[in-house]
Amino acid sequence: MEALEVGSAEAALAKARRGDSEAFRELVERHSRSVFRLAFRMTGNEQDAEDVVQESFLRAYKQLGRFESRANFGTWLYRITANCAVDLMRSRQARHDMSRGESLDADVHQPTAEIPGPDRMAHGAEIERTVQGALTGLSPLERAAFTLRHYEGRSIDEIATTLGLGTSAAKHSVFRAVRKLRLALDPLRTVTHNG
Amino acid sequence: MAEHWTEDDLILYFYGEGRRRAEIEQHLHACASCAAAYRAISGTLAMIKTPGVPERGDQYGLEVWQRIRHGLAEPQMPWWMAWMQPQRLAIVAAAAVVLLAAFVAGRVWEHQPAQTPVVARTATPDPSPAASGNPDARKRILLTAVADHLDRSERVLTDIMNASDRRGISSEQVWADDLLQTSRLYRRDAVDAGERSVASILDELERSLLEIVNSPSPISAADLDNIRRRIDAAALLFKVRVMSDELRQREDVTARPAEVLSRPGDRKTS
Repeated sequence: MEALEVGSAEAALAKARRGDSEAFRELVERHSRSVFRLAFRMTGNEQDAEDVVQESFLRAYKQLGRFESRANFGTWLYRITANCAVDLMRSRQARHDMSRGESLDADVHQPTAEIPGPDRMAHGAEIERTVQGALTGLSPLERAAFTLRHYEGRSIDEIATTLGLGTSAAKHSVFRAVRKLRLALDPLRTVTHNG
Repeated sequence: MAEHWTEDDLILYFYGEGRRRAEIEQHLHACASCAAAYRAISGTLAMIKTPGVPERGDQYGLEVWQRIRHGLAEPQMPWWMAWMQPQRLAIVAAAAVVLLAAFVAGRVWEHQPAQTPVVARTATPDPSPAASGNPDARKRILLTAVADHLDRSERVLTDIMNASDRRGISSEQVWADDLLQTSRLYRRDAVDAGERSVASILDELERSLLEIVNSPSPISAADLDNIRRRIDAAALLFKVRVMSDELRQREDVTARPAEVLSRPGDRKTS
């Protein structure tokens, strides 16, 4: 059954590469949900994720000629999606840069008195909100690298390949992301422990 | 052990990476300060849980397809695959027939006695594709020019997005005015060339450029914020960047068949 599915996926791919848009429809239907999942994790926003899904498939269709048939279509599409998400985040970044910096500073220097009590912490809502705020403070590349490492479980080498970076650049993007997240989250952790 | 592991080493260790994992593990048992640092890192990272992804139904793939189907551009095939398309094969075959006919005619002509004196050429015809009136070549030139125009526009939009609220934007306004005039011309050409998606992006771009040009100088923080919000809401920077990339890629693809048909020595002419 699985072999049959793989066979039909390959056939659809071969047809799509020859410009058959109906065959491409099959690929869109097959991969949309996984593309959305990655897009949502990377952007953290449903509307942006939808934009990324759309742009990823449009880009994939245009670039089908460059796809090597020996490669895995899903992996190739994953890479396109990750890069579309980075592009979208970059386009949004300029607008939000200043406010992001301010909100991150506010999160980091949050007075202890304003930190909610342990009972609220237990529900994790405050932590989740702070995590989201801190993630928004990352640069698009840091956020992408961190998402791929932390949520998607990709190795540094895979992250480098996916984002078209050198291994060292991928590694340092993850390090920078973790450092920034620690700045924002360590105070909460201390409170949780003390509480 | 006197030396301690760095934060970066411990981050890699947390994620199961790094080459000296066994050494780090051993060290963490022996060194209280590294163990505390590691606990802090792992404690913080453990707080970051994988977010729940909103559910998408079984029909989601179809919905995505419905959204993108009208926007699908011609896929960029490798040049050899592009030339295997039936229409193109027909063009190649027709060109071959014309060449063969010209060759045969030339051979026959050589045997005819010269009846008129040969007149030396006094002027060399312009070999450029634009001058030849070739519509494909003209379209290619248009797309290249639009891609450059979009790059310049992206820079001015980025400047606006990054401009400090307390700074005037008069230099950006002059720049935007210049781009606005050019954009209108390109948009008309794009419409004539049947490039509707290019024309549509240029139209959106013009609206933002016009807004920048017509803003009071010095601009108030609220007005600047409004312009930014509209650029952002339309995802204009993103669209401009994507369209510019697309045009560059099309440029590459359309340049390839010309290279293939030309002699190796002629390649630089494209």
